[in-house]
Amino acid sequence: MSAAIVIEGLTKRYRAGLRMRTVNAVASASFEVKRGEVFGFVGPNGAGKTTTIRAILGLIRPTSGSITVLGTRMPDRAVRAKIGFLPESPYFYDYLSARELVDLAGRLAGLGRAERRRRGDVLLERVGLARDADRPMRKYSKGMLQRAGLAQALVHEPEVVILDEPMSGLDPVGRKDVRDIILELRDAGRTVFFSTHIIPDVEAICDRVGFIVGGRVVDVGPVADLLGAKVLGTDVVLRADDAALAALPLTGERTRRVGDLVTVALGADADVGGFLRVAAAQTMIVSVTPRKESLEELFLRWTTSEEKSA
Amino acid sequence: MTPLAARATASCLRVYAVGLNTFREAIRNKVLYGILAVVVGVNLFALVLGEMSLSEEARVARDVGLAGVSLFGAITAIVLGVSLLHTEVQKRTIHAMIAKPLGRPEFVVGKYLGMAATLTLLVACFAVALAGLLHLQGVPFAGAVVKAVVLGWLEVLVVAGIAVLFSAFSTPFLSGIFTLAIFFIGRVTPELRHAAARARDEWIRRVAEGALAILPDLDVFAISGGEHQGVPVSVHADFVPWSYVGDAAVYAGAWIVLLLIGAALVFSRRDFT
Ligand SMILES: Nc1ncnc2c1ncn2[C@@H]1O[C@H](COP(=O)(O)OP(=O)(O)O)[C@@H](O)[C@H]1O
Ligand SMILES: [Mg+2]
Repeated sequence: MSAAIVIEGLTKRYRAGLRMRTVNAVASASFEVKRGEVFGFVGPNGAGKTTTIRAILGLIRPTSGSITVLGTRMPDRAVRAKIGFLPESPYFYDYLSARELVDLAGRLAGLGRAERRRRGDVLLERVGLARDADRPMRKYSKGMLQRAGLAQALVHEPEVVILDEPMSGLDPVGRKDVRDIILELRDAGRTVFFSTHIIPDVEAICDRVGFIVGGRVVDVGPVADLLGAKVLGTDVVLRADDAALAALPLTGERTRRVGDLVTVALGADADVGGFLRVAAAQTMIVSVTPRKESLEELFLRWTTSEEKSA
Repeated sequence: MTPLAARATASCLRVYAVGLNTFREAIRNKVLYGILAVVVGVNLFALVLGEMSLSEEARVARDVGLAGVSLFGAITAIVLGVSLLHTEVQKRTIHAMIAKPLGRPEFVVGKYLGMAATLTLLVACFAVALAGLLHLQGVPFAGAVVKAVVLGWLEVLVVAGIAVLFSAFSTPFLSGIFTLAIFFIGRVTPELRHAAARARDEWIRRVAEGALAILPDLDVFAISGGEHQGVPVSVHADFVPWSYVGDAAVYAGAWIVLLLIGAALVFSRRDFT
């Protein structure tokens, strides 16, 4: 079975400013989103996430490269019937109520009246808008608009759901709601592709992530692999006074004292076993933890290294 | 249903959805009610003018009423039309729409039809106000006036098409200027024909001929006071037959189709960012 989304060599060049300088918003990006997975598309502001998403939906025409969704080369109108899309900082017809917006989305997807009404009621309830569903969206907060946007994206039960920054502008409760909805979609066998720069959300719900920086996709893989490959060192927590600490074979490792507990940060190539044997004789060992790179650190490393090379 | 018929039906339903939404936007917009209030005001003004001119009451009422249909109709068409597509792109409301299985030409046609429905409602309100006015003065609202209102309505729909074409790629301000210019030139085609035939300067002749060749002849819809087949026509006396109105409708329809094809082509090539 073909992948949900295949992007090959996608480039989008804009001409911007008075001098018409060319900007590669996305530069030969290639990656794949598998069916049934939650894929996090991660990168700093201006990395090219929104540009990539707009190209997938046919809102913009790629300068070069190809995009395939569910085995069909895009742009293709019929395939868009199987895609649900939440735009970045969504803005909808503000004279409509959320219920009317969802109804409009259902009409465009070709649903009959009864079906639209049934799914609309369920979805508005699910995104937490049931109480405000009949007020004009002009009066909605940003979080409520985001919720209405999710409902209109899902009304036709799309196989592939594409969300551009779905958690931005939401309070913690709202973010948790969106995370839960994404996980429900995955449990129902749908594919979710969403962009974000909020790392904890990625760690919490993604099967795989792709990093994009400066228009280039720099790393793609399962969250565990990206993190697990890199053990940065070992943190050893000891109960020791200053005299006992001075007796340990330390060669400039970072230490931090809180009360009578001392954390010693051993390097990646340290002889952990040797150190622990000595420490066990002199002090009391409280805990030993391998220190792995967090997604946040990985993200920062990619971001700064790309900035340097740019 | 054959697959082709099924697809055509689905397409029509999408166009209808866009059109309905556009109509909804217009009737929930307070500006439209402002225009309606102005129209009623103009008709009252016509009543007062008619009182002052004693025996000419009916003539003034008809003239002012019909000018109201034509002028306010055209202005409303321009005001609504020039922002019709531009606003969708600028406010990014189009993003969620185009991500649905909705073709860009379907979107353009739906937007136009929704606006045309709004304008039709507006012209109907003008006509009712005019009929009321004529009724107050004991003059029947019939024949010539009905034809004149229908012609004015057709013109409004063509002007709306021009505005939509510009709106597919330009800002409302520029689109407004272009559309007004074409509206004005389209109304002086008798003078242009005169210039094309008689002007001494070669360039003036060429420009007049060029304008006549590529721009819609809106004078077709404002025939009262002019000539038809060499005979003067007027809503107050001898007016054109229904067959003339039919021909004008075909002419308007052809222009609207051309303008919408142009708008759809331009719109389909654009990047929405
Ligand atoms: N219409 C445009 N014209 C010129 N430059 C653009 C345009 N749209 C986006 N860009 C540039 O492309 C880059 C990527 O933008 P975007 O895809 O919106 O990033 P992200 O969504 O990751 O924050 C940015 O540098 C942005 O300035
Ligand atoms: Mg973005």
